[in-house]
Amino acid sequence: MNRLDKVDIFIVEDNEDFSFLIEKAIDHIDKELSLKIVDNGLTALEVLKHYDQEGTRPRIILLDLNLPGLSGLDLLREIKGIEFLKQVPIILFTTSDNPKDVRAATEYGANAYVTKPHGYIALIDCLRSLFNFWFTHHTTIK
Amino acid sequence: MTEFKVDLTNCDKEPIHILGKVQGHGFLIGVNSKDQLINYISENTAAYINEDAVKYLGKRIDELEARMNISNYGNELKLSQIITLGLGNGFESINPFYIELDGKAFNLIIKNAAGIYLLEFEPCDKKEEFDVQKTIGRSISEILGESRLHSMLKTAAREIKKIIQYDRVMIYQFGEDGHGEVVAEEKNIELEPFLGMHYPASDIPKQARELYKINLTRIIADVDMDCPAIISNQGQDAPLDLTHSVLRAVSPIHIQYLKNMGVAASFSISLLSHGELWGLVACHNYSPKFIDYKAREASKLIGQILSPALEYRIGEEDNDKFGLINESVSTLIKYIEKESDIVSALTANAITINNVCASTGAVLVFDSKIISIGLTPNNDEIKEIVKWVIDNSQDMVFYTHRLPAMYPAAEKYSDFASGLFACILSRELSEMILFFKPEQKQSIIWGGNPEKAVEAASDGSLQLFPRKSFDKWTETVRYSSVKWGRGEIAALINLREQVIYQINRKANEIRQLNERLKLAYEELDTFSFTVSHDLRTPLSSIKSYTELLLLTNESLDDNAKKILERINACSDRMALLIKEILNYSSYSRNEIKLEKINMRQLIEGVKAEIDESLQPQNLEFIIGNTPDISGDAVMIGQVFANLLNNAVKYSSKAGKAVVKVEGYVSENETIYTVADNGIGIDIKYHNRVFELFKRMDNVKDFEGTGVGLAIVKRIMEKHQGRIWFESQLGKGTIFYVSFKNEPIG
Repeated sequence: MNRLDKVDIFIVEDNEDFSFLIEKAIDHIDKELSLKIVDNGLTALEVLKHYDQEGTRPRIILLDLNLPGLSGLDLLREIKGIEFLKQVPIILFTTSDNPKDVRAATEYGANAYVTKPHGYIALIDCLRSLFNFWFTHHTTIK
Repeated sequence: MTEFKVDLTNCDKEPIHILGKVQGHGFLIGVNSKDQLINYISENTAAYINEDAVKYLGKRIDELEARMNISNYGNELKLSQIITLGLGNGFESINPFYIELDGKAFNLIIKNAAGIYLLEFEPCDKKEEFDVQKTIGRSISEILGESRLHSMLKTAAREIKKIIQYDRVMIYQFGEDGHGEVVAEEKNIELEPFLGMHYPASDIPKQARELYKINLTRIIADVDMDCPAIISNQGQDAPLDLTHSVLRAVSPIHIQYLKNMGVAASFSISLLSHGELWGLVACHNYSPKFIDYKAREASKLIGQILSPALEYRIGEEDNDKFGLINESVSTLIKYIEKESDIVSALTANAITINNVCASTGAVLVFDSKIISIGLTPNNDEIKEIVKWVIDNSQDMVFYTHRLPAMYPAAEKYSDFASGLFACILSRELSEMILFFKPEQKQSIIWGGNPEKAVEAASDGSLQLFPRKSFDKWTETVRYSSVKWGRGEIAALINLREQVIYQINRKANEIRQLNERLKLAYEELDTFSFTVSHDLRTPLSSIKSYTELLLLTNESLDDNAKKILERINACSDRMALLIKEILNYSSYSRNEIKLEKINMRQLIEGVKAEIDESLQPQNLEFIIGNTPDISGDAVMIGQVFANLLNNAVKYSSKAGKAVVKVEGYVSENETIYTVADNGIGIDIKYHNRVFELFKRMDNVKDFEGTGVGLAIVKRIMEKHQGRIWFESQLGKGTIFYVSFKNEPIG
């Protein structure tokens, strides 16, 4: 793997439409934000391990729950087991509003659980407030 | 109930067959089969040998024979040779052996009684040669020619009277309890009839009845004749077994009984049915009268031929009577096979359980229900009877024609329920079918008062004092029904088995249905998940793309923008529908968690939500009494959210909207009403309001999915509560929801 560029937002999402929309939305919010989207849990873990080796890390990670390869929750646990990445805020970003999933995510160390908003405008609003919180007010990560 | 407290039980104790006496009209010699020595001899043998009989005990039969003036028509066989002859061919083939003794005609009858040859000599009539075959051949064809049981018995009595020439010939039938009834009679004209009379069981003691099964005829030629003793050199411990003897003397009690009746001679022929003593042909003569061996044999033959004919006729008449019953049972079983509901199959058709036997009332106790047909005790009484039957019957089928005697509570309704037949379907569930027969105030005409059958002697002993009075004594038997017949019993047992088979079959069907239902529920789970995830996600994308297009493409014209907005609105509506479906299915599947609900708080909460979401103008929202209820707080919240939302929504176009919610507590229920002055519901939709996705014609202008009331109904059903409404178009609607006061579950 080549040397990696610095990534602000790391997204694991298998739905093409949503990936496309989220990319557009982030671009709409701030063109300066760099973004990496992976569509498979196992690939995501590989990439993140690579970041670890390279000594670089994203500023925030968005995880879907239902992922091919490795489920969102398992991936969450793996990431939280990697010392260097532990501090990166991980947001569960999913359609499920099942209380069981919410509880499990919290237990595994997710920093927030957000259900995917309905519509593009709502998505922009949602992401903007997320970034606003984690990038501006939450300053443990540089 | 009359009990025969006084019974000639002494008779039951007396060892009749070893009395050691013979009737005086003949004499008996018992020869040991091993050594041909005389072991037993009746005292009256002396009259034929002019010597004391005791002298010949231990002597050879030849020595005794030498003292007799005996001849047997030229074939000069000695007694010992006759025995040998009988041994070769069977004694039955030589009996009776005709001889003459001192010039008088005698029949010699030889039997083998446990190693002793019984030689019995009894007088006979030599002049009248009795032609057995000719006489009884005619009699039997007369008897068997009768088609009905009753006339067959009557003819049999007449034919036997012709043969034996007695004054009275009766056919006597034994009941289940051993008492007898005269069912046919042929008598001399001057005699008082005994037909229809009943005689207590003690009149013919048990072991006498056993003997009647072995010896098919029995004669007592003269009740006044002395009975000579049988003497023996074998000691006290070896009484002679007289079971097969033709001369055997009768119990003195029986002699006394006959004397008291005025009878001088008696003759009986046993009638057997299915190996049991069905009855007797009882013949009385009012002066001493001996019946010749051959005439007795002829009578015996008639009895033997009559017995199977009786069996056949009884069976035939039963079959006629119960063919109908069996047909009803088959019909009922067909109903059960066809119909899904066992209760209605057994009780609701043209043929019911009250048509399968001669019952006047029948009750099905099944599935926590009591269904009565015809005349039956009331439900409370039935419950008691069911309990009593379960507690007292070991068998799955129980019947009696005298219920009040066993179960005194039944005296109250003995008029129509003196007879009970119970088919237990399940002991555990106390399920059964009951059949009732009405009381039949039977009159029994006893030949004398059965209570006074015996009179005690001065020393307190009852022996030798059988009853003297044979005057008619009428007794009315209360609290009893007609007995349950053989055919009825068979039919009801058959019905029970078939019903149980069908119940089991149906239970299996329900089990299978349950399995399929479980599978369907699992599929529903999968379906719900598919809807929530797979359907929601692309829908969300459609909306997002539309918005993206609208937001980023400045070049769009107004028309394109309008269309994109329509797409957006449609996807919103679809998202709402999906959400509601999931909501509805989750209320169906979730278990309710019961708790006490603070209703004031709950309703205030709902009102706050409505204020925020609908922002109603000009609304007067009245909260009346709010009694607390117990239920699932989340679900009940949903009920009131839906009802109040609807009320506010559908009254929003009234000039001044008034929505009122209040509750009141009645005896068993707490009822809440939600009233509005809105558009109302058309009467023609009254029963469709609660259907899923059903929206009324007049609500086009209001937002909604048609799921809300379906959810409300579902939740109310889960709480075992009720929901209904009153409405007038244009005036308003009142919804009622009622909750049980007692905790449910």
